[in-house]
Parts: sequence; structure tokens; C-alpha cells
Amino acid sequence: MLRYIARRLLGVIPVLFGLSIVLFAFVHLLPGDPAVALLGQHATPERTAAIRELLGLDKPLHEQYLLYLSDILRGDFGKSVIDNRLVVDEFLLRFPGTVELTVAALIFAVGIGIPLGRLAARHVQGWPDGAVTVVSLLGVSIPIFVLGLTLQVIFAVKLKWLPASGRIDPRLGIDAVTNFMLLDTLLAGKPAAFVDALKHLVLPAIALGSIPLAIVTRITRAAVLDVANEDYVRTARAKGLKERRVDDRHIMRNAWLPVTTVIGLQVGGLLAGAVITETVFAWNGVGAWVVDAIQNHDYLVVQNAILLFALIFIVVNLVVDIGYAYLNPRIRYS
Amino acid sequence: MSAVTVAARPVPARASRGLWRDALRRLLRNRPALVGFFFIGIFVLAALLAPVIAPYDPLAGRLVDRLKPPSAEHIMGTDLQGRDEFSRILYGARVSLQVGVVSVVLGLLMGGTIGALAGGIGGRVDTILMRVVDVLLAIPGILLAIGIVAWLDRGLFQIMLAVAATNAPIFARLLRGSLLALRESDFVIAARSIGASSPRLLFRHLLPNALTPLIVQATLALATAIIDVAGLGFLGLGPPDPRTAEWGTMLTDSTKFLHQAQHLIFFPGLAIVISAIGFNLLGDGLRESLDPRLRR
Amino acid sequence: MVRTKVGSALAVLALVFAACTPGASPTPGSPGTSPGTSPTGGAPSPTSAVKEGGTLVVALPGDMTAADPSFVSDSNSSYIHLNVVEGLLGTKPGSISEIEPVLAAEMPTVSDDLLTYTFKLREGIKFHDGEPFNAEAVVYNYERQLNAPEPLRDNYNYYFGAVFGGFAEKSNLASVTAIDATTVEFKLKQPQSNFLISQAPLPQFGIQSPKALKAGDADNPDPAKSPYAQGKGTGLVGTGPFKFKEWVPNDHVTIVKNEDYWNAAAKAHLDEVIFKPYADQTAEFNALQSGDIDMAQTILPNDAQSLEGNAEFQVFDRGDSCNVAVLQMNHTHKPLDNKDVRFAIAHALNKQAYIDAFYAGQAVPADNWMPPATQYYKALNLPTYDEAKAKEYITKSGLSGADLTIEFWYPADVSRPYMPDPKALAEAIATDLEKVGFTINFKTAGWRTGYLRDEAVGKFPMWLLGWTCDWAGPDNFLSTAFFHGDGGKPNKEFAYGPPELLSAFDKGLAAPTEADVKAAWEEAQDILARDLPTVPLVHSRPPAAGKAFIKGFVGAGNLNEALNTVWLDK
Repeated sequence: MLRYIARRLLGVIPVLFGLSIVLFAFVHLLPGDPAVALLGQHATPERTAAIRELLGLDKPLHEQYLLYLSDILRGDFGKSVIDNRLVVDEFLLRFPGTVELTVAALIFAVGIGIPLGRLAARHVQGWPDGAVTVVSLLGVSIPIFVLGLTLQVIFAVKLKWLPASGRIDPRLGIDAVTNFMLLDTLLAGKPAAFVDALKHLVLPAIALGSIPLAIVTRITRAAVLDVANEDYVRTARAKGLKERRVDDRHIMRNAWLPVTTVIGLQVGGLLAGAVITETVFAWNGVGAWVVDAIQNHDYLVVQNAILLFALIFIVVNLVVDIGYAYLNPRIRYS
Repeated sequence: MSAVTVAARPVPARASRGLWRDALRRLLRNRPALVGFFFIGIFVLAALLAPVIAPYDPLAGRLVDRLKPPSAEHIMGTDLQGRDEFSRILYGARVSLQVGVVSVVLGLLMGGTIGALAGGIGGRVDTILMRVVDVLLAIPGILLAIGIVAWLDRGLFQIMLAVAATNAPIFARLLRGSLLALRESDFVIAARSIGASSPRLLFRHLLPNALTPLIVQATLALATAIIDVAGLGFLGLGPPDPRTAEWGTMLTDSTKFLHQAQHLIFFPGLAIVISAIGFNLLGDGLRESLDPRLRR
Repeated sequence: MVRTKVGSALAVLALVFAACTPGASPTPGSPGTSPGTSPTGGAPSPTSAVKEGGTLVVALPGDMTAADPSFVSDSNSSYIHLNVVEGLLGTKPGSISEIEPVLAAEMPTVSDDLLTYTFKLREGIKFHDGEPFNAEAVVYNYERQLNAPEPLRDNYNYYFGAVFGGFAEKSNLASVTAIDATTVEFKLKQPQSNFLISQAPLPQFGIQSPKALKAGDADNPDPAKSPYAQGKGTGLVGTGPFKFKEWVPNDHVTIVKNEDYWNAAAKAHLDEVIFKPYADQTAEFNALQSGDIDMAQTILPNDAQSLEGNAEFQVFDRGDSCNVAVLQMNHTHKPLDNKDVRFAIAHALNKQAYIDAFYAGQAVPADNWMPPATQYYKALNLPTYDEAKAKEYITKSGLSGADLTIEFWYPADVSRPYMPDPKALAEAIATDLEKVGFTINFKTAGWRTGYLRDEAVGKFPMWLLGWTCDWAGPDNFLSTAFFHGDGGKPNKEFAYGPPELLSAFDKGLAAPTEADVKAAWEEAQDILARDLPTVPLVHSRPPAAGKAFIKGFVGAGNLNEALNTVWLDK
């Protein structure tokens, strides 16, 4: 087990190295110019050239890459060209927002997806199965931004049950300490603000969670069906065990494995979905920041924010894999 | 994603022709799959017959006729340029289905090649290719697509390529995974022990069995491809000619009119949802009928 | 005496607005009739109507980029800064071109050679940190920009370089001297007709506390390392009606009432204003309707239209337009080098239809490259919509078929005040052009990821772009925005600029008398009307919207909208 973990950890290094090359290429292949991005409507060729020189963009590409590599190896993730803020500061400021949002989305997806999947499996090919299938498919076939904006119109604009966007009502004046809004409101000792922060989480979590919800539902359904055909389940039934007990003790216990794997796989999809969800919900997270940075050609932010983002994705996957290996000793990793 | 459950489940060795015929028979008996077929059939017909059915030119409109709600004259209303939305949905089927199919086929070719090489050859090739796949998978798909479209310039083909590239690493990993699992399975060991050659083993025994999860995943990817195009459009990376009738772009453009013209969200949204449901049901049906253990 | 005069003028304005009926919607298509531009001399209504206190949450299209006005050139930052930092001069609330003294006690005296400007300062004003405002402070603020560290020049201190033609010895600003504690003398090297009008609307020329600037290391060549620029613990220390409180990047900026504001009559009514950035306009509009925010600085015109008749909300009038949208053309690309083709295009475009469709009527068809309220504006009688004439011009050009194919670029991912929906506008223009015989080939690029760069070097044959004024002078539109020369030759962007036009620009800026200046700018406009190098489309009045309980807001086409007059009726 330890050897497996060590090998997986070592495997991360070439991936990160490759990633740094891909990201560097990505940014330098983008059309446009950070200097123009900075100057906006006031860009002229001369001024642009001056700024390119200032930023070192006039050097040969390989030199720029080596400089970039040595910077990140020294832990220097640079700063934004647009607002001059350090990428690391900004990442730490925004990452908690993305974590809060993705965790909430995951809770929504799993909390609703598993019961729905079990319901569908229990009534396979019956109407509940059909209904669950259609609902879950609706989730995957509506683009996040359409779903998000529509949810805003229904629940915030028309019904006024929930706030439309943002992480908290700024009028409440909560001081950012950890940048985890739920924590900060508690630290400030304001339960009402905590509730407000929770309310702000609901709509973006549903919008972001809709795709994983569909997938978790379908996987649960499939896994339960798979297991239900196994001999030991038939045996259990034959023994005259109550259906409920068969479900809990025999089916779910074994169906968990594929379900947890898929939940782990969803993290990557959630981070990608967060890119658009955060923009639509004015959510101060990493995703909205990266989209902004790409559109503003804020190249160091693009490179390094995605690198940090990917690093976290890789670590999460690693933990899932290791957990999986731990839970399922039958699987040999070669 | 549901491919995860079907991956790495070897089908006992038997003549593959029989397997496929069996599968087809089961597919035709699968009710949801037939519904899926039906939905997709509608849109394929719409795409083929668009010039016959469409009441108006999908590209011509007058600004004074814009944003009209559905009426007898325009059953789905008019869009922000005053064009008939129904005609655009019909013609949009051509573009959107094409986007879905081409991007998935491209993705299959790219991912399939990588996966087959990695799983078929193994060893160092496998390690290197899978590291590349890891790198690609570590970048959120939408960002990868943004990069490709931004790099190759905007255009329908570039968009299809971008969507393909986000799918390719998933296909690659899936194919490689099932190839590896199959290599260890009894029937392959048996085939190897009776002296089957490597290429024969790969093409005759491994690939046909390993393709199953890939086909299923591809069907599901067809549905998401159209949505991915909409997402790119939301970020300003849609097809360059704004006159192109394409569901994703039509949907994206109308979010600006969420408060004035809900029909412009509803109809393209409905078209996308129905086709997505169609492809998904078909994918499910395929999965179930290709998996003999689920035979009922 | 002067001081009370301006003070009371502001108070009157506030009252004029306070008296407006709730939910008053703008009168479409009536530029220049905004109350702000024509303060009535009527008797002030009783002050008891104004309610003090409260928090206003305002949505902006983007985040602030620095807590130092001299470092920014984006309108979101400026919108916040102008509430906190004041300059010697300002534009009158609601007006884009009328100038009034702010920190100066009166308009400056100008020497006969137009080279020396002497400003008398108001007395007894203190910065938010308690430091005194005086001639020393003015000198310090101008000199820190004049001698900005090399890496900051042009780049961050854009406006200073643009207005004065450069930094240090290259600058047209020869010196800024404190004659005594309340008198400052500016010496120019050459007459500069845009000197005063450029200083007025731009918070970039605001005066900040020298002590705070020094303490916050505001002149660090790397703004990332300057606590002042980053707003960390310090930043934005001016004399304005609001004080800077905090900046949580991409989340919000908070400013609070300055209880000790020098102009007692114009003290802020609100306790606090919170600015929140919204990248997506539909999301912003949803937030407005759900009550997350109280006011949106810019909303899509069609959203503004949908609020009509809704008693809970109001749409604010912006008065005179200070922008222009233009169908740009580069004369190195055929067939756009052909004057008849350009006239054909101009006649083919139904500008009013675009205004109705994409600006919700909140725009006027453009008859000039600068909006009507600009200094020295004249009506040019440019070609108007007439398909028959368009076809005549095409025949006259002698071109047909494939020769009439044009590559047409639009920006994919932005909404600008002068073109809320560039893609839809481009589509409608293409439809009109194809109707008279052109063939349009669409191309697109991201605003900052290619579009601005490529259009500037002349890569695009025909494209959509426009300009939002920095100041309402002809130089800012005709020259800076468009046809400025490039080393005495036409610039690459348009490849258009006959010598007589470029020399008219020079004369317009540096002529020795006011009459010569006027004549030069009128000549420049006539040359442009004759050649029609590009086709101006519209001047828009981008709408703002807010809750009906917001009172006293004074909209302005240049977005100089200090919120001290605003109060909440709830």
C-alpha cells in the first residue's frame, strides 16, 4: 500500500511538468496580447511594444519558458497584468469559494442522486424509473448557464425565495477571515448571516450539481441492478429476508463501490462546471477568475491558476484512488 | 460516465458476429432504446427535410418582425433578427447533429488510437501516453476547449475539434482500461495459450470486446457535444457567422432576452433536451443489450 | 463667495432630483434634455424630503483594478474613484462638457500666450487622513505622475501621458509650482486646447493625500508591491464626499460617508455604498430584480425596456451621449478604398432600425464621429438610409459581384456602452449590406484576445468598434480615438489621413487663439464628411436602473456620477 502511494505521488511530477508545458503553450498560442489587454481602447502599436518589452514578452519562447519554470519552482506564481495582484494571494482568496460551491453541489448530487437511483432500480422499467431517467437527463442536457439563469428568474426574481447571486449579502458586512463564507459568518457570531450564506449556496449548487446528479443517479441505478442479479442477493431473497433488508445489507453495501468511484470522477467535472457557474452567479471563485483572465489575456493568471487548479484536481484523484485501493483490496494495481 | 460500470467486463469468447446480432435483437426489444431511436429519428428527418418543411428562409428576417411570440404565422415565434424560429430549429438540426456526430467521431479516432496503442502495446508506451492523457484530463474540459478554439481561430470545424479533444482523453482511458482488463481475462489467456498471434489477438478478441464501453460512452458524448458548443458560445467562442442556425448558439444568444422572449430559450432548449434524451436512452439501451449478463 | 455658489448649485441639483417623481423613466430620443444639463433656477423645494443614511449596493460591469486613480484607465475603477478623490476641476453633474471648479476656488486665469494657468485653491479642506489640502499637495500629485518611474509610464499612468504627450522632459507640462499655500501655477511648453477639459472629468488627475501616498509606497515601480495601489490598509485617500473603506477583489469595494466633507451642502446622504462586479449582464439584471443589488450602473437596453411600467424600479437617464459606435474600415483593403463603396455602405444602413432593435431607442443616429454635446461639434449631413442611393453608388463605383465581398469582424465576448450586442448589430448590418449587393464574410475574435490588437494594426477590412469619451473634446474622438497620425502619416488602423486633416488636428490642439482652434476643428470635421473614411453609426445613452426608492441620482453620459446626491426613500 505504502509503495503504491509513493509510486502514485512520484507519478504526479511528470504530469505537473507536462502541464506546465501545455499551459505555457496554451497561453502563448492564444491570439492577442497582454499589452493590448492592459491598454484596452487606448492600445497603440508603440505603446504595446513598450509593454511587451517590460513584461519580457519580447524574449525567445524557450527562454520565457525556462524563466517561467524557474519562477514556479521557486514558488513565485507571478502577478496579474491587469490588476497587479499576486496570483497566489488571489488564489487563496478565491479557492475557498470554489470549494464551498463544489462541495455543496456534490452534496446535492449525492444526497438526491443515490435515493433517486435506488428508486429507479427498485421499479426498473416502471414509471418511476422512466420519470427518474427523464429528470436526470434534463439535468445533463441543459447547459449550466441556461439552467442557472432560469433558476435565478424562477426562485429569485419571481418567487423571491432565494438570492439570485453572490456569496452573501454584502450589506451584512461579514469580514473575510478564512474566505469560507459559512465559517466566516460563524466566526463573526452571526447565525442570521450563516443562513444568508447558505441561501446563497442553494441555486448555484443546484445548477452546478445537475450534471453529477444525473450521473450519480444513473450509476446508482445501474450498480443496484448489477448487484441485484448476483447470486448472493437471490440467495438472500430466497431465505425470505425482507426486501428492505436485502436492499440495505446486501445490495447497497456492494453497489457502493462503483458509486464512490464515480463520485470521485465527478470532482473534475465539477471544477470545470464551476468555471461557468461562478460567472453566472457572480460567485467569487477560481473558475470565474480564470474565465476573466482568459478573456483579458492575463497570461500569468491563466497559466498559474490552472496549474494550481489542476494540482488540486490531481491530488483529489490521488486521494480517491488511494481510498479506492484501500477499500477494495481485490483490485491489484499494476 | 456510466461507462465506468460496463468497463472491464469481458464478454465470454464467442463468434463476434453472433454477439452483434444478439445485441441488435435485444436492442430492438428494449423499450427506452426505441424511444431514443424515435427522438433521434425525428431530428434526423427534420435535418434532411428542412428545405421541404421549413415555412421560411432561416436566414432572412426583418428587424421590425423581431421577438414576436409564437403565433399561427410563426409557430415558434421570431428571433432577435426577425427570423422564423421554427425554420431555424429545423435547419439547426442539420448543424447541431453534424456537430455532435463529427466531434464524437473525431474524439473516438483520437482517443481510440491513443487508448489502443497504450492498452495494446503496454509498457513504456502505455506509461507515456497515459501521462499525456493525465495532463489533458487535469485541465478542466471547458478550458481546454477554449484554448483550442482560441488557438485555431473560430469556426464550426474548430469547435468540433475542440469538443473532440475534450472527449478524447476520456475515450483513451476507457479503451485502455478495458483492454488491460481483457488481457487478464480467461478467454484471452486461453486464446493466447492456443497460440493466437498478437495482432490477431488484438483485433479479433480484444478490440471487439473492448469497444462496447466506448460505443456507449460515445452515444452519451453525442448529447453533451451540442451542450458544449452552447457553453463555448456563452464564453464568446461560438461559430463566427452569427447567422448560422445552430441550437447551442441560438440558446446562448437568447439568454440575453430571458425577460422578454422566453420562447427563444424554450424551443432550442427543448430541441437540445429531446435529442440529448434520445442519445442517452439509445446509449443505455446499447449498454444493456451489449452486456449479455443483463439479458432478461 | 464662489465656494458657497458651487455648494448651493449642488444642493439645488439634489433638490431638483429629489422633486422628480418616483420611477420617472427617461424620455427616449431627447438628448440634451436631462435635468442635469439644465439646472433650473426655480425655488428649492423643502429639504425635509431627503432622508439620511442607508446602504446602497451598486453593480458594476467589472471590478476595480487599483486603489489609486492615477494607475487606472478603466471606467469601473473611475466610477468608484470619483466619489472619493476630487480634482481641481470637474464636469458639472449631469453634463459631459461644462466645467466647474471643485478643489480650485474658481476657474483658473490663463496668460495671453495660453501657456500659464494659475489656479486659486479652496482653503480649509482636509484629506480623509486629516492632512491639509494645499498647493504643496497639488504640486506633489502632478509631479509624481510627471516623473513617474519608467515602468509605470504610459502603462499605468496612461492618461497623464496621453494628455500631456509624455513624461518628464518629453511632457508638454513644463512645471507645476506652488506660488503660495493656495495658488498653483501650471506652465505648458505649447498651448494645449484640451488642457482644462481633460483635467475635469478624469479622477486620474484627482488630488490624493501626499502623506498617504508616501506611506503606502504608491510610487513603487511594481504596483503589486504597493499597499496603496492594492488598497491594503490604505489607498484612495482624497477629499471627496465618500471615504474608501475596503476592497475585496472581485467581490466588492466599500466606501463610506465622509462626515467632514468640505462642502457641507453636498455631503453624502448615504452611510455606505458597496460596489459589486457582475460579469454577466443577465445575472446582474436578475440580481437587481431579486433585490441582491439596489442599482445597476449599466444594463442591457432591452432589460431597461422590460422595466417600463414596473413601479418597483426606475431607469435612469444619462443625458447627453458621450460615445460613438462606428462601422470601421481600413483603406488598404479593397473595395473599401473606393469612396463610392463607402458612400453606398453608408446609405444602405438603417441606423434607426438598429437603435429600435438593439438600443431600445436609447440612442441617436450618428451624423458625426463625435457626439452632439462635444465641443466644436457640427452637423455633417452624412449619408442617411436610402437603398436606392446605395445601389446608385455601387453602380457608380463600377464594381460588382465578387469585388463587393467584404470581410466583416465583430467582437465576440463583449458588450460596450456604444454597442450592447455587437453580434446582433453586425448581423443586422450584414443583412442591410447584402440587400444592396454586397457579400459579407463574418469573422470574430475575443475583445482582448485578438480583436483590439488586430484592428489596431490594420488586419481587419471592416469591423465594429467605437469610443467612449475620456473627455468631451474633438481631439479625444477625431484624433485620439480614430484618425491620429503615425509619425506624420496615416495610422495603420485605418490607413486614412490626408495631410490637411493631420495638420488640422495639430492646429486644433495648439493654435494660439480660441478662434483658430474652433476653425481648425471645424475644418477637420468637414474633411471627414467629404471623405467618409468610416461610417459612424449611433451615439448611445447606456441605461442604468435601480430600485424606485433611489432618489437624487444624477446620470451623466461620461459616467461621472458622484453618489453624494443620492438618498433612499424607504
